[in-house]
Formats: sequence, C-alpha cells, structure tokens
Amino acid sequence: MCRHVAPVGHVTHNESVTPHGIALVASMQRQGTLTWTPSALQVLYAEPDGGNCRAHCVTDQPLPAAIAAIRAEVAAEGLAPSEVSQVNDQILSNQSIFGSYKPTSVQGEWGLFVGDAGFNLSSSTMQAALQLLSICGIEAVPVGCGLDSGFIPCSLGYPDTARMQAKLCIDEIQRVGVKKLLVLSPQDLFAFGQMYEERLGVTWPDEVVLIDLVEFMADRVQAEHYKGAISTEKTNDFIAYVDPTHAVRLPARLDAARTLCKVALGVAPMELFWRRERAHPVGSTAIQFTRPDIGIKLTESRIQDAMDQGAQALLCDDPATLHELHLRNQSPMRVQGLYELLIEQLGKK
Amino acid sequence: MNLTGLQPEMIRSELTEIVGDSYVSTDDSDRLVYSTDWFWLPQMWLDRGEVPRKPDYIVRPKNAEEVSAILKIANSYRIPVIPWGGGSGSQGGALPVFGGIILDTKRMNRILEIDEKSLTVTAEAGINGKQLEWAVNEKGLMLPHYPASANCATLGGYLAPRGTGTISNKYGKAEDLVLRMQVVLPDGHILRTPIVPQHASGPDFYRLFLGAEGTFGVITEATMQLDYLPECRLLRAVLFDDLTNALEAGRQIMTRRLDPFVIRLYDPRSTASRVKKILGYELEGAYMVLGFDGDEEIAILQERKAMEIIGQFGAQDLGREPGEAWWNHRYDFYYPPQSLKLPWMYGTTETVTTYDKIEKLYFAEKKAVEEGYKEWDVDFIGHFSHWFHWGVMVYTRFIIQNPPDDAREAVRLHNRIWNTAMTAVLENGGMVNEHHGVGLKLSRFMRRQYGDAWPLLERIKKTLDPNGIMNPGKVGFGH
Repeated sequence: MCRHVAPVGHVTHNESVTPHGIALVASMQRQGTLTWTPSALQVLYAEPDGGNCRAHCVTDQPLPAAIAAIRAEVAAEGLAPSEVSQVNDQILSNQSIFGSYKPTSVQGEWGLFVGDAGFNLSSSTMQAALQLLSICGIEAVPVGCGLDSGFIPCSLGYPDTARMQAKLCIDEIQRVGVKKLLVLSPQDLFAFGQMYEERLGVTWPDEVVLIDLVEFMADRVQAEHYKGAISTEKTNDFIAYVDPTHAVRLPARLDAARTLCKVALGVAPMELFWRRERAHPVGSTAIQFTRPDIGIKLTESRIQDAMDQGAQALLCDDPATLHELHLRNQSPMRVQGLYELLIEQLGKK
Repeated sequence: MNLTGLQPEMIRSELTEIVGDSYVSTDDSDRLVYSTDWFWLPQMWLDRGEVPRKPDYIVRPKNAEEVSAILKIANSYRIPVIPWGGGSGSQGGALPVFGGIILDTKRMNRILEIDEKSLTVTAEAGINGKQLEWAVNEKGLMLPHYPASANCATLGGYLAPRGTGTISNKYGKAEDLVLRMQVVLPDGHILRTPIVPQHASGPDFYRLFLGAEGTFGVITEATMQLDYLPECRLLRAVLFDDLTNALEAGRQIMTRRLDPFVIRLYDPRSTASRVKKILGYELEGAYMVLGFDGDEEIAILQERKAMEIIGQFGAQDLGREPGEAWWNHRYDFYYPPQSLKLPWMYGTTETVTTYDKIEKLYFAEKKAVEEGYKEWDVDFIGHFSHWFHWGVMVYTRFIIQNPPDDAREAVRLHNRIWNTAMTAVLENGGMVNEHHGVGLKLSRFMRRQYGDAWPLLERIKKTLDPNGIMNPGKVGFGH
C-alpha cells in the first residue's frame, strides 16, 4: 500500500508494476498459479530499488530487499533475462558497468568514494567535489574510481557478485588507509551504510567512518569555511533542486543539499512536487538495463515535474542522476551539477 | 464470457486504436494481478493455489472521450467493463467475475483546478488520494476524507462506493464533499452534473452514481469541497467501564453538536486485543479516542464540553498521549504485519443505524456470530467510528484463525457467516454496509435490504445499461 509513492506505478499507471503487483506476482509464482514467463519476468525487473516503498511503508516492511531476494532465486535457477545476466557478466569481468575500474595506490586518511557513475559518467562532479574539499583543507584521495559498490548486482539478484564488489571496495579503502570516507553518490552510501549489512551480511569496517559528501559540505558551509569566497550574488532564475535517486533512504541529506543550494544560488531553490521524503528516482538504477523503457520515463517525469513548476534550471549533486537528466533533457531547461556551480561561484568571486 | 477465434484479436485491435498499444494489456501476469482486489475471498482463493476469473483485457484510457469509445466497443461486443481505481476495495467491487475489460482509470490523474476562493478542487477520477491531498496541502488546504486506503485508492474509488474516512464525524463522507462530477454513461454518453449539489433546480440525480460502484457508468472527474488545514488537532483518550455508557456519551457529544472530527470507540474485546497489540495499552473496558480540530480556542472549548459529558459517565481520562498515539498509528491496524492476514478467515461486517437501535444490533450480531460458529472458535470484535447526528456506524469483524484448508469449504463457511451476520443486521434495522460498499460480497443482500424499492433501482439499471455491461454481478444487479 505504498502506491502513492510508487514511481514506476506513476509513470506506467499499471497495477502490476507497483510493489503490490510485484509482490502479488511473486506470491502467485510461489503458489504455482504463475510461472516465470517472459511477461512475468518483465514485471519482476520493473522495480527500480529506489527505496520509496520502504521509506513510506506504514510498518517498515523491507519489500525492496524481498524483491532482490526473489530475483536471486530467479537468477539461481538460470531464468534471469539475458539483459539482466549480461549486467552481471559485465561486472564480473570489469568490476564496473559504465567503463573501467582504476584502483589507486595513493595513501590518505580522508577518501572520496567516487564509484562507477562518478568516474565513468560524470567526472566533472568528482573534480568539483575534490576542489571544494581542497579549498577547505581536505586533501581527499579518490577511491573506488569506476568501481561498482555492489548495489547493482545485489539489486538484480546476484548477491555473490555483490559480495565480491563489496570486498573490492573495502579492500581498497583499507589499503589506502582511509579512516574518513566521504561518499559522492547516495547509491554507494546506501550500499555501504545499509545494504551490505541488511542484504549481504557484509560488515562495514568499524575504523572507517562513512560521511555523505553533501552533509559534510553543508556543515563546512555553515561553519563558514568558505566565508568570503563564494559570490553572494542572488540568482534571478527559477532553479530547482532534484533530490537524487535513493535520497529517501538518506533523510539527513535532504536539508543539507538545500543548504548548499542556498549558498550557491543566494536564495533557496525551488521545490518540486516529488521532493524530499517523497522524492522519486530517475532511471539511474539497474532499471536502465532491465526495463530501459521505464527508466527513461522515470527521468522524463522528473524533468516534466520541474517544467510544470516553471523551473529554468535543475541542480543535483549525484553523478548518476545528473547523467540521466543530461541524457534525457530535451527542454530549454538547464541541468547543472551542484558542486560544479559552487566552483563557478568561487570563480566569480 | 468466452472469447474465441478471431473475436479477441478484433476487440484488442479496436481497443488499441483508442488508447494505443502501450495501454492495452493481455499479458497473463497483468491479468492475474487484476483478478483480485482486497476482498478476502479472491485473496484466499489465490493463497490456496486457485486461480480467480481473470479479465480478458486491461485498458488504460487517458480521458473521458477514450472511456466513452471503450464503452461503445464493449456494448457492440456485449463485453463486461469493470472500472478499476486503486484496487483497494474490500468487497470485490472490482473483480472481473465474468471476464471482460478492466478499465484502469489511473492514467486520468490530472488536477484540473484548485479554487482557493470557493475551496474546491477539480481533478480526474484516477488520481491517487494521497497525491491529491499533498497537492492541496501545498495551498494550506485539505480534502477532508482520510480513509485507511488513501495511499492506494483513487478519487473515483472514494466516490463510487460512498466511502467514509477517519475524520468523517465533522467533515462528512466522501459523497458529502462532492459538488460536481463528470460521468460516462454505459452507452458512452458523457455528462456533467450541475455545478453545485445544493439547489432546488430539479432532482438530485447525481447521487445515483454515488454508491453505484460503476454499474451506472464511470466517474471520470469530480469537484470536491476542501477545507483549510486545521490550526490544531487535539486528541485525547478515555476509558469506559462498559460499552453502554460509552455509546451514550458519544451520542450526547454528537447530538449536542460539539463537532469532534473523530470519535473512535473500541468494544471491550477490541480494546483487549487490537488496541493492546497495536498501541501496547493493556486496558479493560471500552477505549475511546476523541479529537477536536480547527481554531484552537474553539477546539479547546469543544473538548472541555465533551469531557464534561464523558465525566458524567464515570470514564477515566487517559490523557493526550494515548489519543495522539492512536492518531499516529491509526492505519497500522490495517497494514502488515499488524493487519489480519491469510490463512486466517476474516470479514468486516460494518453497518450503520440510528442511536436507538445500534446497541441492540451490535449485541444481536455478536451473539449470532459467536454462538453460530463456536466450533470455529470465532473471535468477534468491533469499534464505533463514524458518528452522525442521528446514529453511528459499527465496524464489526469476525476472525477465525483456523479456517478450512480447502478453498471451496472456506468459501462456504465464509458465506454462511456473512449470511448470519447480515441477517442479524437487517433484522435489527441496520444497513448491509456503511462505507466499504456492496461489491460482489454483499450483492446478494441488496434485494432484502431495499425491499419494495429494489425494482426501481433495477429499472434504472436497465434503462442506463440495457446490455448489462457495467460491472456485472455487483451491487445486486444480476442477482
């Protein structure tokens, strides 16, 4: 009964691809009244694993994890569609979906986990983040460059692959000597902070503190680390902030992102209808591979939401969300990285 | 209905021409998902490994014109059409018992206008209830219909079965909030009811579509009354020694027009079981939650007056916290893992009648069910939750933790219990339903309920829907 925040249900208007419908299909399969036909599998892989249903569940039922577990059964039986198993094969051979993984040999106490999308799809975001950190005296070592954190294979039902990715992430972080790990992408932060333990039984190392980069930057801004450095010119444009995919799983970041936007814009950003606790994902999760038709609709509906509100530009901090928005935006509205904008503002000063 | 040979493809191609290929489905998994709503019988049927009757097509129109065209095709092929909103109904009102076309309204989900002067919202009928609420909340307004199903149900689903929400005492049922509707009649004719419901310009015909559950046509748009979001909500809980005193206190609060937005009174059995399980309070007696909202000074005064009445009946004031806890967890009663669940057998035999009859009705139904099904160790619980100036609704439920494993035996037992309960209700001046609707579940009781008036409803049905395509088997039509 989380239909009010079911993003796929909202873009397809189809009962079958809501969490309720997917759960029903899975239960019918268990009862023997439905077999995993191609059309039933289309339903099973239509859930983006963005966390909305859990975040709004009246009684906190872990449905996304349950769906991932059913997908694991399907994969174990060799029934996963080829587009699903190909993603797993790609990760097994490259540790990355979007390009390549480049382990680092630099040592450092502070690390910035860049991840797959941050390295291979939207490297300007990583560069801007490193620059901002440097200005406030943090020389963070980029780690996990091009490395999938395990979220995608876990979500698709390949927990063994996900555990291998988790091990690679933790090994690199420990090898570098990172004690404070800033995380660029909400997807990776969710994987490290929640998914590893809940779905994979992987324990995050006690000695490594996880920090959401957005929260860290907002704290620094509030502590006036950038005082006098950022232009105080107020924008006259209508600029909206898009809460990235997985934002609903990380409630502490919702205010932090807006604090940063206010610094960058001189005014509070416009608020979209599907914002904050009810934020909808773009098609940046595994759904871009399993149901690209739905993934595109998810992104387009975020763009439409902003256009309906009269936004002239969209801001976001997540590399994967930014990449999707850039890719699908055919409107005159601009899409811009939040960290990149902050760097621009520093330049103006 | 048996579609064979070329016919199914002909129909599919005609439907596709109207709505486009993406919005017509004949996939088996889709058809299975749309074969059940929240009625216990089809849920149980599936749980026992049986397959309910599936629809032949699922069609998602985007506007009234497309609905009209679909109904014309359905008439030409004599195919049933079952309107579908959120699928959250508990009465089987959306079940495709004869197959046919499921007409899923969720694509019709636009908000057309929010009038901040008249405090109204006009929206398409497929909009999700919670989404609509969020949209009007952005303007400092609310649509004061808060059913437990709001996260799932649609605006059309609020109206079609004459739903009632948690704060109905003050703000009314969904049907009391509607000013105007757009309806597509079974022959495809699109009409709009007059701009306001209160007038003296002829009969109140728009009400025919409220409670018809899609048997008289499809509601495609509605203008609803809004209210300002309340300045305050004051909640408090009290405990009565017995149900009789509690009912009388509730009656006096309502008839003296103290305007509580909620009075929720749990019978002693519910207090001991459901309230304990969900809210964690171990109490003996009848637990009542009272709420007053709006202007703070007025709400405080109303609450004080109500507490004076309650004091006369010797109830214990439990304070604000248990009232607020109930408000914050009020939907937990209906959601997993706290909700009643399969393989248990359960049914909500809710009814409404006047104050002079309600207590007798409640005890008569309780006795009939408890004594009639003792061998099944039946549990009978209830709460009184929608209070009017003239009477109150009682939300009674039967629960059997070890029903028959065999699906067919389970159906027979389930229906016997319903027969017993509804006979007690009808013999004691109750209505077969107050807010869940009739659907398939209560269809067979409609003739008894309406008596001499039933043929008139049948004549109206025949006139509007001569081919009987609209939601057959529901609301008593076809029985």
